[in-house]
Amino acid sequence: MKVKVLIFGQLKDITQSASFEVTDVNDTNEIIERMNNVYPELKKMKYLVAVEKEIIQGNTILRDNFTVALLPPYSGG
Amino acid sequence: MPATKFKNIFIEGPVTPAFIAEKILAHQDKVNIGAHSIFLGQVRADEINGKTVTAIEYTSYEEMALVKMHAIREETFSKFELTCAHVYHSLGIVKSGEISLFVFTSSPHRRAAIDACSEMVERIKKELPVWGKELFDDESYKWKVNN
Repeated sequence: MKVKVLIFGQLKDITQSASFEVTDVNDTNEIIERMNNVYPELKKMKYLVAVEKEIIQGNTILRDNFTVALLPPYSGG
Repeated sequence: MPATKFKNIFIEGPVTPAFIAEKILAHQDKVNIGAHSIFLGQVRADEINGKTVTAIEYTSYEEMALVKMHAIREETFSKFELTCAHVYHSLGIVKSGEISLFVFTSSPHRRAAIDACSEMVERIKKELPVWGKELFDDESYKWKVNN
């Protein structure tokens, strides 16, 4: 299974990359765990998680080709 | 530009006064309108720790923002008696003094136009996945925080 992970705003300062392809993950918790292992600084950051452009509240099961996004607090306008 | 069935709201760089004037002019043939309400968000040259903001660089999760904006628009139309509503938000660099957000609502009557415009601005700031990076005169930056 392949999932796309998008990174925005100040989180991108940590990862340096705006997009990742992650394989063999079942849910959003696994994605976050993996991201935290590679980028420990992320653990300190506040952000929301969106799956397929919808904000999720808790751990969410993923399907092939889903897009997961890590969204720090919005500051548009 | 992402492929989407939703109306695009993003423009590269600042919203120019000429663009705003053009949009006002485009409503002159809609004679059932009695009131327009316009909100213009301008980039402030804030001073933070002795450094001055020279510009804000905007980025967005565009696809999600357009889905969200569509929902905000639908909800606003069902709540207020609106003839039309237009929203434009900048992406990329907008210098201090330039316009980065343009919200334009029209209605037969002023109350609906004003209230709808105000509500849309609040929701845009709160709910659209857009991020502003405040750029300083010494080339450092700070991520903007919305109140």
